[in-house]
Amino acid sequence: MNWLLEFLLKIKPNFEEGEKLHWLYPVYEATETILFSTDERTSTAPHIRDSIDIKRVMILVVVSLIPCYVFGAMNVGYQNAQALGIERTWIENLFYGAKVILPIIAITFITGGLWEILFSIVRKHEVSEGFLVTCALIPLTMPPSIPLWQLSIATTFGIVIGKEIFGGVGMNIFNPALVARAFIFFSYPSKISGDTVWLVGPDGYSGATALSIPASINSADAVVLLDGVTQFDYSWLNLAYGWIPGSVGETNKFIILIAALALMLMRLISWRVILGGVSGLFAMSYIGMLISPYSDNSMLSIPPHYHLVMGSFAFGLTFMATEPVTGSHTDTGRLIYGFFIGVLTVIIRSINPAYPEGVMLAILLMNAFASLIDYFVIKVNINRRLRRYAQ
Amino acid sequence: MPHINIKKGHNLRISGTPDKNIVEINNFETVAILPTDFKGVKPKLIIKEGEEVKIGSPLFFDKMNPDIKWGSPASGTVKSIEYGRRRIIQKIEISLNDNQDQIEKQKYNNSDIISLGRQEALNIILGANIFPMFRQRPFNTIPDPSIIPRDIFVSAINTAPLSVDLEVVMENENQSFQAGIDALNTITSGKVYLTTKPKSILSSIQNVELNTISGPHPAGNIGIQIHHIAHLKPGQSVWTINAQDVIAIGKLFLNGIYDPTRVITLAGPCVRDPGHFRVMTGAKISSIIGDRLTQDKSRIISGDILTGRTSSADDYLSFYDYTVSVISDQVRREFVGMLNPGSSKNRYSLTPVFFSFGKILFPFNTAQNGSHRAIVPISAWERVLPMDILPNELYRSILAEDIDEMEKLGLIECDDEDFALCSFSCPSKTDVSGVIRRGLEMLRAEG
Repeated sequence: MNWLLEFLLKIKPNFEEGEKLHWLYPVYEATETILFSTDERTSTAPHIRDSIDIKRVMILVVVSLIPCYVFGAMNVGYQNAQALGIERTWIENLFYGAKVILPIIAITFITGGLWEILFSIVRKHEVSEGFLVTCALIPLTMPPSIPLWQLSIATTFGIVIGKEIFGGVGMNIFNPALVARAFIFFSYPSKISGDTVWLVGPDGYSGATALSIPASINSADAVVLLDGVTQFDYSWLNLAYGWIPGSVGETNKFIILIAALALMLMRLISWRVILGGVSGLFAMSYIGMLISPYSDNSMLSIPPHYHLVMGSFAFGLTFMATEPVTGSHTDTGRLIYGFFIGVLTVIIRSINPAYPEGVMLAILLMNAFASLIDYFVIKVNINRRLRRYAQ
Repeated sequence: MPHINIKKGHNLRISGTPDKNIVEINNFETVAILPTDFKGVKPKLIIKEGEEVKIGSPLFFDKMNPDIKWGSPASGTVKSIEYGRRRIIQKIEISLNDNQDQIEKQKYNNSDIISLGRQEALNIILGANIFPMFRQRPFNTIPDPSIIPRDIFVSAINTAPLSVDLEVVMENENQSFQAGIDALNTITSGKVYLTTKPKSILSSIQNVELNTISGPHPAGNIGIQIHHIAHLKPGQSVWTINAQDVIAIGKLFLNGIYDPTRVITLAGPCVRDPGHFRVMTGAKISSIIGDRLTQDKSRIISGDILTGRTSSADDYLSFYDYTVSVISDQVRREFVGMLNPGSSKNRYSLTPVFFSFGKILFPFNTAQNGSHRAIVPISAWERVLPMDILPNELYRSILAEDIDEMEKLGLIECDDEDFALCSFSCPSKTDVSGVIRRGLEMLRAEG
C-alpha cells in the first residue's frame, strides 16, 4: 500500500496553509489518518503511549453493532413475511430486510458525514470519529418504516443540535443519537410514538406492541395479557430472542448482551452504568409489583425480568447510557446515573399514560442530571479528604 | 509489619529488561551536574572554569538558601560551564583526573550516629554538599534544611519500567544502609518510613517503620506510598530520599567520604545486553552506552520511559535518574491501522482485547498511536491511579486555574510522576502529568 501513502503525501502540500485547497484540509486529514495510522511521536514524558486512541474506541463500538444490524435485517424480513402471511427462508428474510435498512443506513451516514465535514471545515477542527458511532446508532433506533426524509432531518438535528453546537465530540451534553430519536419522536409522533407496532407490512396492517398492551387495559395481570396475544409471540423467551416488531436493532437481547459483555471486557463501556441500570430497573419494577394490587394500572404488574426484555431498555442501556461523554464522569456517579436510568424507565413506562416506552426519555433526562450527580460525588470526595486532613 | 496491596496500576511489558548482575563502568572522561534538574533552585557558582575540584568540593549554591551546596561528583578540572537563555546555568562539566581525590571528614560508628543531634547530623550532610539528595513533598523540591520534616520516607522498591532492582543493590550494603537510616532518624522529629517488597533483604533493618507493598506500578512511587501510609496534610512537609542515597549518606558517616557512584540500569528494546551498571553521578551517557545500541534511529532517555527526559549520547545522566532507557524512534504507518486489533509483534493495549498476551514483552517505540482529541472519559486514568483522587476533576480544575478547587481535590498529595500512567493510557492522548505539573507550579507560586 506504499503507492497510496506516497500519493497522499504527494498531494498533501495542496492542502497546506495558504494553498488554494486549504479549506479542504480536514477532509484530507481524515482520509489520510483513516487509511494510515498516524506517525505522530511523543514529545515529552511519558515517551510511550498505549495503542488505544479515539479512532479505535469508536471503531470497536461500531463493530460491536454489526450483529445488531444483521439480526435487525433478518427480523424486518421475518415480520414482513408474518404480516403478509407467507413463508420465507432466513436468507430471504435477510435480503428483504437488507433492502429496507440499507437506504436507512446510507441516508444516515451521508447526512451525518456531510454535517461533520461541513462543521470541521467551518470550525477548522479535525473530522471527529464520534460521528461514526452516532450514525451507526441512529438507524438501529428507528422503525424500519421510517420515511427517509424524516430520518435525514432527524440526523441533522442530532448531529448539529445534539453535538456540533457544543463544540463536537467530548463537549456535548446529550447523546446525539438519542437527540435525533427524540426529535422524530416529538415531531412526527404518528410514525414513531410507539403505541402501535413498527414493521414493513401491507397498508393498514397494525397491532399493539408488548408495552402498549398492558398500558391500554386496566386491572389485569400484564403477563397473562401478553400470553393472550395471538398476533405476535410475546412470551418472555421470544421477547428476549427478538422475533418481534420494533426498531431495527433493539429486539434481540442476546446479541445485545454479547456486545455489552465484549465492550465491558474491552473496558470501552462502564460496567457500573450497566449494573446500576439493571438494578434500578429491577428495584423499581419490584416496587411496582408490590403496589399493583392496590392500583388498576396493569403496567405495574409487569415483573422485573419482563421489563428487561421489553422495549429498548437493553439496547439503550448498553449503547446509549454508557456513552462516556454525556453520562457521569466519576465511577461512583456512574452507578447512581445508571440506577436512575433504570428507575426512570420503569416510572415512565408504568405511570406516564402518553409514552409506553421510557428508556429514551430516561437516558436524556439523566444526561441532564449527570453533572449534578458528579457534583455530589466530588463534594463527598472533598469532604472525605477534609475530614482526613482535620484528623 | 503492615502490608499495602495496590490493585490499580499497570506493569508495562516492555522488552529489554535489565540483567541482574552489576557491571562496573570506569572509563569516564567527563561528568556533569545539570542545575536545571533541581526545581525552584537559583544556582550561584562557587568555582570558575579551569579550577581544580575534588570529589565533594562545592560547585554552586542556591541563592535562595545558601546553606545548600552541590558537591562535585568527581575529582578533576572544571572543563566548561554552559549557560542557557537569561544566563541560566545549564551544565557544569568536569573532566576527570587520574587520582580521584576525596575530601575526608570525620568518621562515626553506628552508635555514635544515633546520639548525634539534629543540627549536628544535618551539618555533616550539608557540609559534604550532598543535601540535594533530599526532596520534600509537596512539590518534590529540595527542602529548606531549617524546617523539621514531619517524617522521612524511603522507598526500597522500584516498579517503574526497566528500573533498578534495589534488592540487587542492597545485597552487600546492609551496614551502610542501616547507618544512613540512623542518620535520617536524627533529622526528623517523626518517623523514618521504609517501604520494601514482601520478603525483602532489608526486613532486618532497625529503627524504621517498615511497610511492605505489592502490586503493579506505580506502587513503588514514593508519592503513592506516602498517600497510603501517612498521607500529607496541608501545611506539612515530609522529606523523601532515594534508597541508594541513603547508602551514600551511611557511607559518609561511617567512612567520612562521599561515594559518588550509583547503580543504574541501561535498558530498553534498543539496547544490546541490557543490565545494571555502577556509574558515577552525572555520568556521560555515551560512556554508559558504549556500543550497546542496536539501532541508530532511537531515543535515549535519561530516566525511565514514563517520566524521563529526552536526552542524547552527548548528554549527561540527571541527578535524580537511575535509568537510561533507549527505545526506537522509528514509527511505521500502517494501512488501515485503526482496524488492526493488535498483534504480538508491535501492538499492545491496556484494553485486553481478545488476546491473552501472557508473558510476551513488547518493543515499545515513541509512537503516539493516535492524535490528540477531546477527552472521552472511559475511566482509563482512574484504572491506573491507586490514590483517593479524582483525576478527571483535578485535571479540569487545573485547566480552569482554580487554585482553591485544586487544593480541595488533593493536589498537594500528587506529583506528576504518579500520573504518568494516566498519560500513557489516555485514548485522547492527553498530557495528564504535564497538566498536574502545571497545577503544582501554580500552587507553589501561590505559596
